[in-house]
Amino acid sequence: MNRRDFLKSLMATSYIALGSASVLAPFNALAAAGAKTNNDWLTTGSHFGAFKMKRKNGVIDKVIPFDSDKYPTDMINGVKGLVYNPSRVRYPMVRLDFLIKGHKSNTSQRGDFRFVRVTWDKALTLFKDSLDEVQTKYGPSGLHAGQTGWRATGQLHSSTSHMQRAVGMHGNFVKKIGDYSTGAGQTILPYILGSTEVYAQGTSWPLILEESNTIILWSNDPYKNLQIGWNAETHESFAYLAELKEKVQQGKIRVISIDPVVTKTQRYLDCEQLYVNPQTDVALMLGIAHEMITKKLHDEKFIEGYSLGFERFQPYVLGESDGLAKTPEWASKITGVSPEIIRDLAKVMTKGRTQIMMGWCIQRQQHGEQPYWMAAVLATMIGQIGLPGGGISYGHHYSSIGVPSSGAAAPGAFPRNLDGDQKPIFNSHDFKGASSTIPVARWIDAILEPGKTIDANGAKVIYPDIKMMVFSGSNPWSHHQDRNKMKQAFQKLECVVTVDINWTATCRFSDIVLPACTTLERNDLDIYGSYANRGILTMQKMVEPLFDSLSDFEIFTRFAKIMGKEKEYTRGMSEFDWLKKLYDDCKADNVGKFDMPDFDTFWKDGYVHFGEGQPWTRHADFRNDPEINPLGTPSGLIEIFSRKIAKFNYDDCPGHPTWIEKTERSHGGPGSDKYPMWMQSCHPDKRLHSQMCESQQYRETYTVQGREPVYLNPSDAKQRGIKDGDIVRVFNGRGQLLAGAVVSNNFPRGIIRIHEGAWYGPVGKDGSKQGGNEMGALCSYGDPNTLTLDIGTSKLAQACSAYTCLVDFEKYQGKVPEVSSFNGPIDTQI
Amino acid sequence: MKWFINTWRTLNQPTKYLTLGTISLSAFLMGIIFWGGFNTALEMTNTEEFCIGCHSMESKPYQELQQTVHWSNHSGVRATCPDCHVPHNWSRKIGRKIEASHDVWGWLMQTVNTEEKFESQRLEMASREWKRFDRDDSLACKNCHNYDSMKWDDMSKLAQKQMKRAAEKDQSCVDCHKGIAHNLPDMGTSRAPELIAQVGTGETGLVVGDSYFTALTKPLYFNDTTDVEAGTLNVATKVTVLETNGNRVKVGIDGWRKKIGVGRVIYFDFGLNILSAQLSKDAAVEEGIMAVFEEKEDPMTGLKWQRAEVKIWTDSDYLVNELQPLWDYARDTYSSSCSVCHTQPDEKHFDANSWPGMFQGMIAFVNMDQDTQALVQKYLQEHSSTFDKSAH
Repeated sequence: MNRRDFLKSLMATSYIALGSASVLAPFNALAAAGAKTNNDWLTTGSHFGAFKMKRKNGVIDKVIPFDSDKYPTDMINGVKGLVYNPSRVRYPMVRLDFLIKGHKSNTSQRGDFRFVRVTWDKALTLFKDSLDEVQTKYGPSGLHAGQTGWRATGQLHSSTSHMQRAVGMHGNFVKKIGDYSTGAGQTILPYILGSTEVYAQGTSWPLILEESNTIILWSNDPYKNLQIGWNAETHESFAYLAELKEKVQQGKIRVISIDPVVTKTQRYLDCEQLYVNPQTDVALMLGIAHEMITKKLHDEKFIEGYSLGFERFQPYVLGESDGLAKTPEWASKITGVSPEIIRDLAKVMTKGRTQIMMGWCIQRQQHGEQPYWMAAVLATMIGQIGLPGGGISYGHHYSSIGVPSSGAAAPGAFPRNLDGDQKPIFNSHDFKGASSTIPVARWIDAILEPGKTIDANGAKVIYPDIKMMVFSGSNPWSHHQDRNKMKQAFQKLECVVTVDINWTATCRFSDIVLPACTTLERNDLDIYGSYANRGILTMQKMVEPLFDSLSDFEIFTRFAKIMGKEKEYTRGMSEFDWLKKLYDDCKADNVGKFDMPDFDTFWKDGYVHFGEGQPWTRHADFRNDPEINPLGTPSGLIEIFSRKIAKFNYDDCPGHPTWIEKTERSHGGPGSDKYPMWMQSCHPDKRLHSQMCESQQYRETYTVQGREPVYLNPSDAKQRGIKDGDIVRVFNGRGQLLAGAVVSNNFPRGIIRIHEGAWYGPVGKDGSKQGGNEMGALCSYGDPNTLTLDIGTSKLAQACSAYTCLVDFEKYQGKVPEVSSFNGPIDTQI
Repeated sequence: MKWFINTWRTLNQPTKYLTLGTISLSAFLMGIIFWGGFNTALEMTNTEEFCIGCHSMESKPYQELQQTVHWSNHSGVRATCPDCHVPHNWSRKIGRKIEASHDVWGWLMQTVNTEEKFESQRLEMASREWKRFDRDDSLACKNCHNYDSMKWDDMSKLAQKQMKRAAEKDQSCVDCHKGIAHNLPDMGTSRAPELIAQVGTGETGLVVGDSYFTALTKPLYFNDTTDVEAGTLNVATKVTVLETNGNRVKVGIDGWRKKIGVGRVIYFDFGLNILSAQLSKDAAVEEGIMAVFEEKEDPMTGLKWQRAEVKIWTDSDYLVNELQPLWDYARDTYSSSCSVCHTQPDEKHFDANSWPGMFQGMIAFVNMDQDTQALVQKYLQEHSSTFDKSAH
């Protein structure tokens, strides 16, 4: 498509937007308006996979996996529904009271879902006026535009980059550090293993399959989580999991899933499970360490040559420093694992080659730094770090990590930052004594308690006084904890702006909502194969943007124009100019390494394949020569005891891994007398976080009475008179939700699961339609973060602790409300 | 044969019948005819038709040119082959033509008549042209493009900054704009080309006693002649020139080392894991290379550190006067490459010893060659909270 076609189609879209009112109308209107019908398969990609698509009458018709995706996920069936669903944001919308009163609006109405349709010009002008007001009155500390999330794929239209570049051209703002997924892990591991580890390439699967005798999946469900990727995912890891399954069946590799529940991976591999009480893994690991030390199973030579501080850790394990020996018997009482099994585990792990693979959930709990640190210590004691098929990894369940990388240079992206010496209109750096960067999960605390000083990673963070939030391609009303607390905080904000494709709960609690189009309604390009960087594929526009939606590039180009900075923003380049530039730059970076055809050929073929990579072992260079290839720790060695962390003097994160009791813990732990059930809110099986929850038909394949499933143990369910398929009210002191019971033996007593990313759909406390914006509201669909605890993991990472969460549940007896999460707002005329 | 001898005799005799004037006039006229013919012929070889008359030129460079702005643009001005490849000044033009006779040989021998042959020769051919452009500061470009006529306001801020800097030095255009009319050759092993384009390949005429900074990671040698490597010198490391000999230079590197192993890694300062140089095991123990002074314990790790001075040979290239251009390049690269997925943290968000862990843990999706990686990591470390205590 050339620029002229692009403009023509834009005009066609505007026409449709004016003439359509219902969801179905645009399909026909689009066809009538002459959206390009094309019998060719076009190539595109997403977090869920790479696809080829065909259109019929201007509507996306068939979606099939990309040729090299041999293990497509079931979520391919939900892709069309991301475009065509009743939750689409159709027009720029402004909250009723905000439209009338602006920054003096009644903010307790936020979330009551009364919105008014406005033109793009009006919406963008209001947006800019709000920024002007906040920058003038409060300066940069009044604006937080750094709360970013998973976005949709595409290197050009990446929504967070566009928003931050455009808002950054207006003025400076508060930013985040870290993320919700791995906040504790990525903070602690650089001190211990010298890298975030969670986002680093891991030892290649072929080497693991060849060399490992035992694989420990610790709180890790790769078969579920490898379905999605940071870039266009082509699921190569699944071929290795299939091979692993074969080896497990042949008895060649022993896989032990250490997990409170039976995971999808365990069921797929048909491997062993070791049950452990929720949140007690550190105690289990200490029990294993105690056994290793007393039986001299640990590798003293490796510890001596490659690590520091074992001599300060050992007395803690043996009880010499605190009078409490961490014996298997001690651990057994906390963990529910028998001393014999703990002793056996110590033996198994030190015999033959053992690869420990950690999942991420385990660090998303209070003191989430500790299990990651302690597991690294166990791996050091085993002494196989840097050997193929041995050691420890923290990412083999994520984005094709472990698939050998092609080694090619990946394409860059539309710039997030201002160019060279460009300056924002409001260029104050006066944060009024507050911090300009805050730990990602502490922003609600900051809004509620501006000026408060907290400890974070060895520094002091002073909360800024945030008055305005801007989100794009991010849904914190899904991923942050404790909805009632969020409501309280949001009432303190003067203005909230959200750009999204669909009416997420974040849009609901906003003042200005701007409709972005989906990835299938604009042109882009992306890496496919995620960490494997297997190639580059086109993301070709399948249909024109529905309704009044625009691409992120277009939205913020228009916004920049209002600021008088259009050319600065786009560098005078169109969508296709940018695609060509990104492609050509990548081509230049690969000269001499990987042949890439010219852009036109790439666009015609749909992809460029970089080929296979070479197997690689993590930390092998360190093991070979720790002097020349030191780790990125202060000493360059593995730090079993960290003097640096010890110097921070944190009670909740001392100098060596430590078992610390949680604020709330099931199975006899604190608070379990009041709320006996532990709720795990892990990454969903059929979504990417909250993305695709709105895909209506696909959602209906797994919901129970239209609600998100809650997985229950048969005995726990029976005790409460609940049958499979019932509507269940799950509650604690923080909130309440409705979900649909799925009774399953995969979940032991005292444990329930609701996948995070279930869209928040608040209704009145008693199930009535009104009152969703009020405290104590009932979530009609089943968002687990209605119930979770909003505290930092520790003074070190200050990360999200969603896994420290006790609840109870009952059969719901009240009036069953309609699910209010989807279908968008109440249109209001003024 | 006889006619030839007769003619020779005639020509060899002084004129009998013709006046000197007649001779001069006819010589002059013949000169004009010859000159005209020569020039016509010369001009003929200066047309696009002539240039693309042979298959090799038509099928590759000409096709590539047609994809570029020099072929088609909104002002309708087109640059054809001779505009760039033949000097406009007469004597240079003749020189170029003589040089070009080499191409006739190539045509006869069919050195670039297939795509494979062309590609295999592309770097050599391009390098020759680049050198020629270097010699006259891209005069061919400047016949049309003039620094003085550039309207800065119409350029992006970034372009302004770079073009103004170039204008000040009347810089040669192809220093930066290589590959503007034809595809770039496969430069395979060339290291960090963008970095080098910005900071240069190093000073010529290194002065003994002066300090310089490394623009790339460089090999170290035991002496001024051997090829036996004695380790590596990290990028952006300060060295003092002690002695020069041809293409080699003996430098002094001051720093600290950890008292572990052989102690062959030299760091920027006490307790800071900012890499300056790594010596091979042999070099570290070789008499006269490393001198070790006072010892201190690092309270953060309990490791002993020793101050060290290294005197060792390296190649004389890639040593630059100023550190700032290296940092400028590193800052821009960090800002663009590390913001593809997320907002990049401020440089001073972490301390010097935390940056390696953060940086190495996030490098998977970042396109940086080894030199650039090392430079960016060092930039982050030397601009970390260890050095910049201002709050953020």
